[in-house]
Amino acid sequence: MENERLQRMRKTTRLHLAMEAEETLQRLEEFPERPAAMEYFYALFRRISNGDGLTSLAGEGKVIATMCMQVPQELILAVGAHPLRLCSGANAYDQVGAEFMPAKSCPVIRATLGMLKVNYSLWGDNLASIVIPTTCDQKKKACEQLTNMGYPVYSLEMPAGKDSDLARYYWQESVKQFAHDLEGLAGRRLTAAGLRGAIGKVGRAAALFRQLHRLRGNRPPLILGSDLFLVYNAYFFDDIERWSAAVEALTAELEERRQNGVRVTNRRAPRLLFTGSPPIFPNFKVPVLVELSGGIIVADESCSSTRLLSDAVAYDEAALNDMVPAVADRYLKPCTCPCLTPNGDRLRKLVTMAGELEVDGVVYQAFSGCLPYEMERQQVNEVLSERGIPMLYVETDYSPEDSGQLSTRVEAFIESIKARKRRKVRTK
Amino acid sequence: MNKLRRAINNSDLGRFRFYVQLLFFAVLIYGGYLALNLGNQLPTFACLYSDLHGGSCYLLGFQHQMVTPWPEMFGGRGIGILIGLATFVAFFVVFNKAWCGFICPLGTIQDWLSSLRSKLKIRPASYSEPVFQRLSRIKYILLALLILLPMAIGNSFFGLPKLSHDWGVPFCMICPGRTVLPLFTGDFSQLAIDLSSTTKLTLTALGMAITGLFFLGSLVKPRFFCLFCPMSALHYIFFRAGLLRLTKDGAKCTRCGNCYRACDVGIRAIADDLESTNIVKDDCMMCGKCIEVCPEDGCLRVKFLNLPVYESSAEGFFTRMERKNNGK
Repeated sequence: MENERLQRMRKTTRLHLAMEAEETLQRLEEFPERPAAMEYFYALFRRISNGDGLTSLAGEGKVIATMCMQVPQELILAVGAHPLRLCSGANAYDQVGAEFMPAKSCPVIRATLGMLKVNYSLWGDNLASIVIPTTCDQKKKACEQLTNMGYPVYSLEMPAGKDSDLARYYWQESVKQFAHDLEGLAGRRLTAAGLRGAIGKVGRAAALFRQLHRLRGNRPPLILGSDLFLVYNAYFFDDIERWSAAVEALTAELEERRQNGVRVTNRRAPRLLFTGSPPIFPNFKVPVLVELSGGIIVADESCSSTRLLSDAVAYDEAALNDMVPAVADRYLKPCTCPCLTPNGDRLRKLVTMAGELEVDGVVYQAFSGCLPYEMERQQVNEVLSERGIPMLYVETDYSPEDSGQLSTRVEAFIESIKARKRRKVRTK
Repeated sequence: MNKLRRAINNSDLGRFRFYVQLLFFAVLIYGGYLALNLGNQLPTFACLYSDLHGGSCYLLGFQHQMVTPWPEMFGGRGIGILIGLATFVAFFVVFNKAWCGFICPLGTIQDWLSSLRSKLKIRPASYSEPVFQRLSRIKYILLALLILLPMAIGNSFFGLPKLSHDWGVPFCMICPGRTVLPLFTGDFSQLAIDLSSTTKLTLTALGMAITGLFFLGSLVKPRFFCLFCPMSALHYIFFRAGLLRLTKDGAKCTRCGNCYRACDVGIRAIADDLESTNIVKDDCMMCGKCIEVCPEDGCLRVKFLNLPVYESSAEGFFTRMERKNNGK
């Protein structure tokens, strides 16, 4: 029996969510020279935020929801289910979560759990499971909380590191078990042909992603970083083939722009690399501020966007006994999540990207409550300052309260980069 | 030129390798029909015991030479031995370890057995890294034995009695090349146990057992025998001189591990070593499977005299995977 209070709460959060989403979208739309192909993504987010959120996507077919990008999507697609990543960026849901979660917990978990709590009755029988890899402590504990709420939860065991053979073996076995259990959850057998097709779909998306990544690094910039966060966020829940088609249209348009010399900002705009806690729609507070202040995000390293998206499965033999471990490898070996130790690959990746894309600075967002990102700040800072790349570290959450203070800091950071560039030009 | 390079990098090296292997198999096993002979110092298992061979393995002659008593070895006959070694090295440096991946008939047979296994949908065995490392020492022990045993025929070690001439070519006696390759010309005579002396009995019986293991092993584990191959150990002494090289640019590596999982001989350094440029390891056979599955532009490369021959690229990776995903 659902009590009246919860129903009221759902009504108000729905309103708040719609307002929040509209505000973010409108701020994005105010930027000049928006690619026409972005319209698909704006419409998609409007549709979802004005309805019941993600539950509205659970219409047809089995849904396997996930709470992390480390859940092998290929396997879910191969058994004919729809993978749906739940991670929420809505302040409205965060408010709900704050009622039963510790004040110091991470806003991503708090908002996601808040969303699941308030929308419990909206999920039909199609929701076969919520799969949560045992990455950070808060996700692990979320498993128990969601089970208590009545959700079917699958905790996908993950090692704490990725370097040893033992970790790789553990993860492969864990994924094999998951593949086996998925058959039961989705009610369909996993076949080699099905998995080959799924690997193909995800591989195509990865190839497109790489194209997009190359184009966004163009000088002068062809598209805003904030717009791209929307594109990557859509990958959470959109049908993968529809997403790929929309991105294909976008890359084609950007390619055209490159040839015609169309750009979204002036040539001297500081080029920035975004890293840290994931910007999840509608919480685009920091990236939008950065780009409003005259910077441009040309690359990013975070789990709501580019992480793992560019990696594709490579199997040797087209049989399940080789393909399933190959899928497992894709989700562990190249991963740069700070829950892994050691995580030197993240530092290497940042340094490589900074060099390749000639960035002028790095913006590091850490959600208060996300200790792994907060703790890695020092290492990142060290490798960047060795190379003379300035970094802005922002600790924030989903509430709009710190916007004023944030914008002062972001503006100052961007101004200092501009001044540095001017000095450099003069000394030349 | 760029177009050609792109086409090469997008190509399917595995298929190319299959045909090259077929060609060399024909040359080395049936070359005799065409009066073809590439010499007796080849750095690969082309077997003198196979009558129509189009060239033969260096190890047979090398073991014979090791019988030479020391005074002669350091005298005039030493020059002959050195010339043999120099010929071997000259052959080797041209293709480096690609002799194993593209030319060796025993390697080719193992690859055929592996594809048979794959068609039968039998799961390949995989070893953990420590097991690979332990196994890879065996080939050095075999190499040492195939030098020391013949030496003990012509010379006395520490005043011990000299060995009988039955120990002449100890490795050939246990090498599956001797028993398997002649089969392809219809010669089954090597599939026998020699009862003429205890030494020969022991060695040929061991040889028969190893032949059985060769077939069984390579049906279970890709390139099973290569892990124990003393020729590969001998190669590794000279690999730095190789004109053909496998190089890695650590800065471009994301450690995604695709190369490690593709590697038949389990070389982990290919994925995790970010420092070495020349990435050839003792078990490597330069088959290029790692390059095919590497999605980073120019991270892994095969170079001949610093000229890139084949290199990893995102485009090539996705082209090949798409072909595979479509079941081709």
